[in-house]
Amino acid sequence: MERPPQAEPVGVARPAAGFWAEAWHRFRRMPLAMTALAFVGFLAAVAILAPAIAGTKPVICRYKGRLYAPCLAYYHRDWEPVIFATDKFRGEYPRNLAEKDPASWAVWPLVFQDPYRAVRADEWPGRPANPARDAGRPSRRNLFGTNQSGVDVFAKMVHGTLVALLVGFVSMGIAASIGIAVGALAGYFGGWVDAVVSRTTEVVMCVPTLVLILALLAIVEKPTIWKMMAVLGLTGWTGISRLMRAEFLRLKSAEFVAAAGAVGAGPGRIILRHILPNALAPVMVPITFGIAAAILTESGLSFLGFGQPPPAASWGSLLNDARSNLRMWWLVAFPGTAIFLTVLAFNLVGEGLQKATDPRLREARK
Amino acid sequence: MPFSSRTGQNLVRLLRVPLVAATVAVTLAGCGGRRAEPPPKPEPVLTPPTPEAPADPATKPLSEPAPPPRAAAQAPFAPPPLEAIDGDTKWIDRPVRDALPDLAAELDKQPPLATVAEALALRNDSVDHNARILSALGRLPAAGQADLAARVDRHLPADLNSTNPLLSSSAAEQDVLGLTGFGLFSFDRHLEPFAAAETVARWQTSVDGILDKVVLRDDLVWSDGRPITAHDVAFSYRVIMDERVPVPAVRSGTDQLRGVHAYDDRTLVYFHQEPLATNVWNINFPVIPRHVYADTWEDDPTLKDSKRHVDLEAKPVCGGPYEIVQRSRGQEIVLRARDTWHTVKGKRVRDVPFFKEVRFRILEDPNTALLALKKGDLDEMILTPEQWTTQTIDDGFYEKNTKATAPEWVSYHFAWNTKSPFFSDRRVRRAVSHAFDHERMLGTICHGLYTPCTGVFHPTAWMATKKPLDPYRQDLDRAEALLDEAGWLDHDNDGLRDREIGGQSVPFEFTILCNQQPMAQEICTLLQQSLERIGVRVNVKPTEFTVLQQLMLEKKFDASFGGWGAGADPDTASNIWATGEGRNFGSYSSPEVDRLFAEGRTEVDRAKRAEKYARIQELLWEDQPYTWLYWRNSFHGFSKELRGYVFSPRGPFHYSPGFGSLWKPAP
Repeated sequence: MERPPQAEPVGVARPAAGFWAEAWHRFRRMPLAMTALAFVGFLAAVAILAPAIAGTKPVICRYKGRLYAPCLAYYHRDWEPVIFATDKFRGEYPRNLAEKDPASWAVWPLVFQDPYRAVRADEWPGRPANPARDAGRPSRRNLFGTNQSGVDVFAKMVHGTLVALLVGFVSMGIAASIGIAVGALAGYFGGWVDAVVSRTTEVVMCVPTLVLILALLAIVEKPTIWKMMAVLGLTGWTGISRLMRAEFLRLKSAEFVAAAGAVGAGPGRIILRHILPNALAPVMVPITFGIAAAILTESGLSFLGFGQPPPAASWGSLLNDARSNLRMWWLVAFPGTAIFLTVLAFNLVGEGLQKATDPRLREARK
Repeated sequence: MPFSSRTGQNLVRLLRVPLVAATVAVTLAGCGGRRAEPPPKPEPVLTPPTPEAPADPATKPLSEPAPPPRAAAQAPFAPPPLEAIDGDTKWIDRPVRDALPDLAAELDKQPPLATVAEALALRNDSVDHNARILSALGRLPAAGQADLAARVDRHLPADLNSTNPLLSSSAAEQDVLGLTGFGLFSFDRHLEPFAAAETVARWQTSVDGILDKVVLRDDLVWSDGRPITAHDVAFSYRVIMDERVPVPAVRSGTDQLRGVHAYDDRTLVYFHQEPLATNVWNINFPVIPRHVYADTWEDDPTLKDSKRHVDLEAKPVCGGPYEIVQRSRGQEIVLRARDTWHTVKGKRVRDVPFFKEVRFRILEDPNTALLALKKGDLDEMILTPEQWTTQTIDDGFYEKNTKATAPEWVSYHFAWNTKSPFFSDRRVRRAVSHAFDHERMLGTICHGLYTPCTGVFHPTAWMATKKPLDPYRQDLDRAEALLDEAGWLDHDNDGLRDREIGGQSVPFEFTILCNQQPMAQEICTLLQQSLERIGVRVNVKPTEFTVLQQLMLEKKFDASFGGWGAGADPDTASNIWATGEGRNFGSYSSPEVDRLFAEGRTEVDRAKRAEKYARIQELLWEDQPYTWLYWRNSFHGFSKELRGYVFSPRGPFHYSPGFGSLWKPAP
């Protein structure tokens, strides 16, 4: 942070910080919104710690005198220590660790189940193979049951949390960056910049996201969630941009902006330091709702079979599994609940934000 | 009714469309399935009993990678006058049969294992119950027993690309156009070819096997009232053989002919280039009305784009027992039995079909279709194994329906592109076959309903090898040894096998294409898991079916999951295995296989032919250009009102009489 010699920016910055502190203060007094926020925090924790919660690879293990963390393979398949491939572990750790180095030890995930495949018989000494099909109802070993091919639903859901949150945050991150930048420029400069930006926004609004994603998945060599996020982000910025433009139109004639201009601040400085912090509050709300919508879109696409390529761990793909056999209720109930609660949580957080930041609503509540 | 049979080996869309062809290889010949179900009556002679030795197989252009120049010979063809032909040709009469009474006679010799009431009360949960259901309900009606005003609602898993029989290539099109199309030849449920008595008066073959002469019946009319003549057939041949017309599926097989000539309205002679065992199939091609297309086809050789052809798409002129009366794209196609088929000039000349109306409902999702079947909105559909085992066992299903199963010659495989850097080495392909978890696939994914597949021919077919081929089982040690031997080792120590190709280290990571059916994806995911254990990385890419077909045709793939429905004649397989052939997607090439196919085509002795094809199966099994997975049986759900379904190796419908034997009892 640069500290300019003038006094004004400091003076402007302080009330801005006060605004957010005040908003947080009000937000904290809304029990529903706080519960939702806590739930989102819980989801984030589950997403990050997924390989330690459910997996078949040790979180940490000591093998032939060295420490390894094979569970990192769940984040990226290249991160699996090579020694286990060279020693022909073939993806089965418990038995091989004991056989190939009796002195080894390992810290295992809480639940020994894999999100991508069915656990085989005796993979964990003494445990039978995962049941499949109708026999895979929830049990002690498979908390949420198994899907048709015997893959544990709990493990899939835990690992699917990461996908759901990533899709929500990354796509909305992209959308927010574009929307804020474009909206700010249009609102501040007005004139032909505004005209071009507004028309572009309208054109992008006309693009049906779902169709675009389907078309994209047909062309690309390897459809990944990252490409899906990019499309969601590149098409989802229009609402944010419009709100941003409106805020800028309102604020650019405010006295503090005129004052900043009067002391010689350039447009860049005015936009970033003076107007933007004051214009952010209204766009936080559509961003939060956007996250919920993106999660829903991803689940929808996976449900239709256009999501990540198999064997994806995504909530929507579990619902897709359920489609072929509705008697396996656990394939609908658990992921359905998860999607519902997550989307609800984000919407509640968004609503809380709106209440906490909107001065008019604030007045009304008093 | 004649089964218009441009139906060779077909690319199969898993569980949904039993037989979908990309470019259908069309030479159906010979017969098969005899060992499975011995027919109680003597079979007609199939092959012209010519004692001559087959032509020199070396002259066949099969081993050349370029498209075989077969069509070249027929351009300057000028047919000799009929008197000249009749003068110095000795003719042998060939079978002209009515498939329906023949089937009735065959069924009558097998006493029913249960009464109809008993069979309808049964649940199909054992081999014995299945046999009883088929035996009691798979019967033809006695006189007056069938409700000739009945309507049947059939399931169509995909819409038709075209209603023009020349452009037909998928199973859905076969289902519809088999009822509306006009044909002279057909084959029965033992895949024995014959001329249909409904359309042909006489069929003769010359002793040297080089000519076929057909005399049409004189009481045939198109749905617009104009007579069907031999000129229509000769005209259709000309259109099929024109390079501008996009009918590759129908052309292959027909291109083996030198020419087809109509001498008058009824007399037709087919001129062959060689006395091939497959000639009997080559003369079987769909027929379009000359008076409709004669003026329009050259202006628009696509047969689809011009205004006139677009109109004909919606309401084609039909030559079969049914005509299309309504077509809503993506929803339904309604056929109605046309009076001009069975009654000409006030005289009943043919049997009235068992249904007045056939309504095809297009439902792409098998689960939606099953709901419709349970509700009674559909009368029949193909069941997925999952539906068979879990969703058709309760009262909700048996209230209105029953189900039946039978072996079918449809097999599934992983196809390897032998031109890709990964699979050019036979050892790699074998390693992958060893690495795959076949037991899990058969037991869990396929519900234990399918049998393992050991190569191109069904074990019950006459051309299958007698040598017991051992199905592959998962053996990771062997797989790894083979990969090591082929040079795929983990040189750069990243947990992934790699190999130096052209100075570059290529990691063993490939993409496998499959359709979007859950079962296909599950099987490919299983391959992924299996190979990951030995340091090979697989990406599964579910692909929309038409895109998949296109990628296969352009050979832009490393591996793919797919299936083939067997053609009636083993020669159809040459389209898949011979060097440079249309559906040899994996670019497999073996001079010996090419030679054996060429020999098999000219060999007329059934036993000697069988040896050649058996050898082909063994060679392919050794080379593993495919990893063969399983034979898919056919599983069908039928309304309790339906009777008369009899299964063939090509399922209950795709033969003659096929669907024509189904009926509903009069109330």
